[in-house]
Amino acid sequence: MTRGAPPAARGRLAIALWLAAVAAAVAIAWRAHYVADLSAFLPSAPTPEQSVLLDQLKSGATARLVLIGIEGGPPQAGDEAAAAARAEASRRLAEGLRASGEFSSVHNGDTAAFADAGRFVFEHRYVLSPAVDAEHFTVAGLRDAIDATVALLGTPAGSLLKPILFRDPTGETVRIAEALTPSRAPRIDHGVWVSRSAPRAVLVATTNADGADIDGQQRALAAVDAAFARAAVPGTRLVVSGAGRFAVDARERIKSEVERLAVLGSLTIVALLWLAFASLRALAIALLPVATGVVAGIAAVSLGFGQVHGMTLGFGTTLIGESVDYAIYYLIQARGGAGAAARWQQESWPTIRLGLATSLIGFAALVFTGFPGLAQLGVFSIAGLVAAGATTRFVFPALVPNGAHGAGFRDRLARSMRAAAAQLPRWRLLVAALAFGAALVVALAPTPWRGELSALSPVLPAELARDAALRADVGAADAGALVAVAAADEQGALEAAEAVAARLDALVAADVLAGYDSPARLLPPTRTQERRRAALPDAATLRARLDEATAGGPLPAARLAPFVADVEAARSAPPIDRKSLAGTPLAAAVDALLLPGDAARPWRALVNLQAREGAALDVARVRGAIADVAGARVVAVKAELDAIYARFLRQAEWQALLGAAAVALLLAWQLRSARRLFDVAVPIAAATLAVLAALTLAGVALGILHLVGLLLTVAIGSNYALFFEHLRRRDDADADTLASLLLANLTTVASFGLLASSRIPVLEAVGIVVAPGALLCLLFSAAWLGRRDAARPLHGKIAP
Amino acid sequence: MPMRLRKPMHAERRRFALALIAALPLTAPLVFGARCAWAAPAFDLGALMALLAGVKSGEATFVETRRIEMLDRTLVSSGRLSFKAPDVFVRETLKPRHEQLAVEGNTLTMSLGERSRTMQLDASPEAAVIVEAIRGTLTGNRGVLERLFETRVSGDARQWSLELVPRDLRLRGQVASVRISGREQVASEVRILLADGDHSVMTITPVRASRAGS
Repeated sequence: MTRGAPPAARGRLAIALWLAAVAAAVAIAWRAHYVADLSAFLPSAPTPEQSVLLDQLKSGATARLVLIGIEGGPPQAGDEAAAAARAEASRRLAEGLRASGEFSSVHNGDTAAFADAGRFVFEHRYVLSPAVDAEHFTVAGLRDAIDATVALLGTPAGSLLKPILFRDPTGETVRIAEALTPSRAPRIDHGVWVSRSAPRAVLVATTNADGADIDGQQRALAAVDAAFARAAVPGTRLVVSGAGRFAVDARERIKSEVERLAVLGSLTIVALLWLAFASLRALAIALLPVATGVVAGIAAVSLGFGQVHGMTLGFGTTLIGESVDYAIYYLIQARGGAGAAARWQQESWPTIRLGLATSLIGFAALVFTGFPGLAQLGVFSIAGLVAAGATTRFVFPALVPNGAHGAGFRDRLARSMRAAAAQLPRWRLLVAALAFGAALVVALAPTPWRGELSALSPVLPAELARDAALRADVGAADAGALVAVAAADEQGALEAAEAVAARLDALVAADVLAGYDSPARLLPPTRTQERRRAALPDAATLRARLDEATAGGPLPAARLAPFVADVEAARSAPPIDRKSLAGTPLAAAVDALLLPGDAARPWRALVNLQAREGAALDVARVRGAIADVAGARVVAVKAELDAIYARFLRQAEWQALLGAAAVALLLAWQLRSARRLFDVAVPIAAATLAVLAALTLAGVALGILHLVGLLLTVAIGSNYALFFEHLRRRDDADADTLASLLLANLTTVASFGLLASSRIPVLEAVGIVVAPGALLCLLFSAAWLGRRDAARPLHGKIAP
Repeated sequence: MPMRLRKPMHAERRRFALALIAALPLTAPLVFGARCAWAAPAFDLGALMALLAGVKSGEATFVETRRIEMLDRTLVSSGRLSFKAPDVFVRETLKPRHEQLAVEGNTLTMSLGERSRTMQLDASPEAAVIVEAIRGTLTGNRGVLERLFETRVSGDARQWSLELVPRDLRLRGQVASVRISGREQVASEVRILLADGDHSVMTITPVRASRAGS
C-alpha cells in the first residue's frame, strides 16, 4: 500500500486489483483438469525399484484385471440347475466381453477360447519349448520323447493330442503347455471356472485400458454390466471387483463426498454467520474472502500440479472454516464509526497475521509429505489462506469500512463466551493436570503410530473382502512378491529373466515355490531361440534318426513326414519378437511382464512368484537363489510399501517437529518474552496432548495424516491462544472480540468435524484430530490465559 | 493404481494348456481284499459300495493294454498301484518308462523322469472323472460316484460289474464310460472307453490288502 495516496484512492486500487486477481484465478480454475484417481494416495517413489513397483500398482497387469463372479440362479431351481444356469451365464458373458473390444483377454475356464494362443504356441514350438536341445534330437532323445507322447494317448489328454500327433510327436506343445499352466487353477464345473468356497461362477478379464485410465476402466466395467444384462440368465447376479473397480468406485465416492462436504460445509458456515449477523449483506461480505481463497487455492494447485484432485476440493471445505474467521474478526471487531477500520488494522490485524503465519507453517508441512495428494492440499490451503487474509486486510477496509451491522444472536454468543471466560480460568490447574495426565498416557501407552499405507486407501473393507474372495476363487491369491530384473535392453532383460527362471525351477522342485510367470517363456531371448534352432537337425539327418528311433515302436517313421517338414521349416524361420505376438492373447501377457526402458530407465522384466497353497513365501530363499543374477532383485510388495510408508512417516515426524519449532520460533519472535511464549504454548500443548492421548486410548492406529492433523491443531490453535494472550494484556477484554473468537472457533470445528465424518480415510484422519483439537485449544486458552476478573459488566460495544 | 497392495498378477490363464495335459494316463484300480461270505439277494450299488468300503488300503500290480486307433500296435504298460482310504491313490508305471501319478484329496502330482507337476484335481474335470471313478469305487464312496456318474451294477457279489457314464455331457464327449469289474472285495479289471473309440483295459492283481479294523 502506498502510504501517501488518499485512502479512497487506495481502496479503489485494492478493489480493482482484487477483482483482477479473482478474475484470473476463476479463469484458471475454470480450465483446470479435475481428477479423482487413487494414485494420490500412494507416496512418490524414492528409489527406481520402488518406482517400478508403484508403476505396476498404478497401471501394471494387476491394475488392469477385472474379477467377475456370477451368483444365484433361477428361483426354485435346484443346486444343479442353478450351477448350470451360472455356467450358461458365464459363457454368454465371456462371449459378450470378448466381442466388446474392451478386453485383451477374457477367461472363464472354457477352453474353446484358447485357440489363438494355442495356435501361436504350436506354430513356434521349436523356439518356445524348453526341451529343445541337441540331445533331444538324437536317436535316444527322439525315442524317449515319442514314448512320452504316446503314453498320453488313450487318455482324455490324448484326444487333444491326436490331431497334432504326426506333426509334434516329440510333445513340444505339451512341454510348453505344462510350463504355462498355473499350478493353482480354479475349479471347473459345467465346463467353466467356479469358486471352491461358494456357489459362484468366476471369470477373469484384462482390460485394454491402462489401469490409470479411470475413464477407460469405467467403460470396461460398463461393458461388463451391459454384456451381463444381455446374457439375461434369470436369477443370476453379478459381482465385480479388481483395481479398476476400486478406482472407479473411489472416484465416484470422492466426487459425491466432495459435493456433500461442500454443501454441508457451506450450509454450516452460512448458518453460523446468520446466527452471528442476521444480515444478508454481512453474510455475503463474510463469504467474499472464503470464495477468493477457494478460487485462489484451485488456481494455485492447477498451476503447480497441472491438475486438481477431487480430494483437494473436499479438504477445501476446511479452508472455508479457516478463512471465514478473518472476515468474522474484521466484521465484528472493525465496528464503531469512522477510523474503525484503521484501528482494526493496528490493533487486531497483527494478531490475525501472526495466526495466519502459524497456519501457513502447518500447511507447509503437507507440501513436503511426499504424497502428491497431500502436497496439493498444502498448496491449496496456503494459497487460499493468503488470498483470504489479503482480501480481508486490504479489500475490506475499502469495501466495508465500518464492519458489519446486525447483531443476530451474537449478543448471546458473547454473553455465553464471557460467562465461560469468567468460569474457565478457575480450571487453570485442571488444564495443567490434564496436560500432565495426557503426557503420561502418551509416554506409557504402546505407540499408536502403527498406521499402514493401506489405511490411506478409500477402498472399503467389504470391497477388499469381496476382492480377496474372488481372487482366491481364480487362484490369483497374493504371493506378495515378484522378482524384478533390470538390463540395458530388451534382450538383456529377457536373458536375465531366463537366468532367474532357471534358479526358480530349483525352488519349484524343492517345493519352496508353487510356480512363477516369466516373460522369457512366451518370448525367449533371441540367443536362446537361436540355440534351439541350431539344435534342429536337417531333414535327411532327422529322417535317418527317426527310422532308428521308431523301429519296433508303435509310431512308424513313415507317418512322421509332417514332423520332418515342420522341423525343416523351423530351421529357417526368423526368431519371434514382440511384434510376432501382436494379435494373440500372449501379447498382453508379455507386455505385463516386460517393461520397455528408455534413455533414463533400464528395460525391466518381472517374474511373478506363486506361493505354495496355504504357505507364506520364503522371500529369503528366493533372494538367496537369485543373488548371482546381475540386476535381479526380489521385491516383497507389502514389505516394500511398508518400508516406503515408514520412511515417509519418519520424515513426516521430523517435518512436524520442525513445523512446531517454526511456530514456536515465530511466536517467540513476535511475543519477545519467554514468559508470554510459555503461556501461549501451554494451552496448545495441552490440547494437542489431550487429543493424542484420547486417540491412543481409543486404539486408533495413527499415521501421517493424524500427524499432519496434530500440526494443524498447533497452527490453528495458536490463533486462539494468541488472541487470549492479546486480550489479557489489554484492559478491555471486549465482548465482540470474544464473540468473534467463539464464532471463528465454531466454524473451524464445524468444518473439520465434517471432515471427520468423511468416508475418505485421508480426510477423516485430519478431521478427527483437528476438530476436537481446535475446540480444546479455545477452551484451554480461555482457561489458561483468561482474566480472573473477566466477569465484570459488559462493555457497550455489543449493542449496535 | 488403486491401493490394493499386491503383486502384479498374471492374468493369462492359458487354459488350453491345462486341458491338454490335465487328463492323464490314469487308469487304475485296486483290488484287494478278503472274502466276504454273505451275498445279498438284490446286489445293487448300495450293496457293492458297502462291500468295497470294507477295504481300507492295499497294493497291487497292473498290466494295461491300450488300443489307439491312430497307432499300428497295442500299447502295453505295467506297474504298481496303491491305495489308502480315504483319498490317497498312486499309480506307478514301471514299464515301458517310469511315470508316477499320485492323488491325495484334491491334489494331483505327476512325475515323469525328473519333471514333476502338481495341480488341483477339480481344475481338470477330464482327469477328475477317471480318478474319481477308480478312487470312488475303491473307497465305496457312493456319494461321489452318483454325483459324477450314471451308474449301473450287474452281477452279484461273487462276480460284479459297475458301469459308470459321466453325467456331464461335455465330459461324456471325452470319456464315454468306465467299467470296473471284480469279485467280492477285489476289483480285478478297469475298462475305459473314450468317446473317440480308443479304449484301455487294466488287469489288476492284488499284492496285499488290509481290511477295516484289522
